[in-house]
Amino acid sequence: MMTLTFGLLTISGLLLLLRRGATPWGWALVLAALALGVVIFAHDVDFSSNLGLQL
Amino acid sequence: MKDVDLSPDFARVLNFVGVMAMIAILLGAYAYQFSYRDVPCTLCLLQRVAMLAVATGAAMNLMLGPSPRYYGVCLVSALFGIGISIRQSLLHINPFFDTKTGEPTLEATANPPFGESVMGLNLYVWGVVIFAVVILAAAVMLFFQDQFKPARREPKWLGRLAVVGVAALLVVAALETLTTFLECGLGDCPNNGGWTWWIAS
Repeated sequence: MMTLTFGLLTISGLLLLLRRGATPWGWALVLAALALGVVIFAHDVDFSSNLGLQL
Repeated sequence: MKDVDLSPDFARVLNFVGVMAMIAILLGAYAYQFSYRDVPCTLCLLQRVAMLAVATGAAMNLMLGPSPRYYGVCLVSALFGIGISIRQSLLHINPFFDTKTGEPTLEATANPPFGESVMGLNLYVWGVVIFAVVILAAAVMLFFQDQFKPARREPKWLGRLAVVGVAALLVVAALETLTTFLECGLGDCPNNGGWTWWIAS
């Protein structure tokens, strides 16, 4: 999952380098990578125990 | 009173500085990782994702010309990053959380920080500082509206600068993808370090 997240950012950088014109794919891929990051984060946190304790 | 404003070209140069600063931080994290032989945890990698995304937003401003949308990419990425950094800082502040087992505990523990400190602060605390600076910088940049006006013909040197900045970003992004694949494969990443063959050899 984390590899895929970095992979999306790499593709976004590649699109930026190859295509000088504005392309919505560039920033859409960055937002997709961040969304994947949120999924990984939510998967990593044990909401049932330690988050409750910390708050 | 005449407004103080920013030309599109100068805004692009400032974004180039931003891209390079983020690349320097990511390379610094690599230097730390290999010198201390410290495999990054899941939260550490997520902070790198956020830094790379901030750099990509700045690279879009650099390559395609400044746009509020690209500053938005920087802001959203930095907000994500600061959330992760604060979460990791809180994990190590809270004495009722055992970082060795990853479980809450009713007995107060020493709760050691993750990894070595750099200039007195741990990397995740630096993360909070860096992402706060990015948020402030992107917000201040949005005050200057002249940068969003259509630019005159692009100077050649600026075009070259943009290619250099984006190419450097692409190299670092590809490197991060490769090392993350070597550490995590296509599944979940191991928490609390754990030696892997590529760093232990």
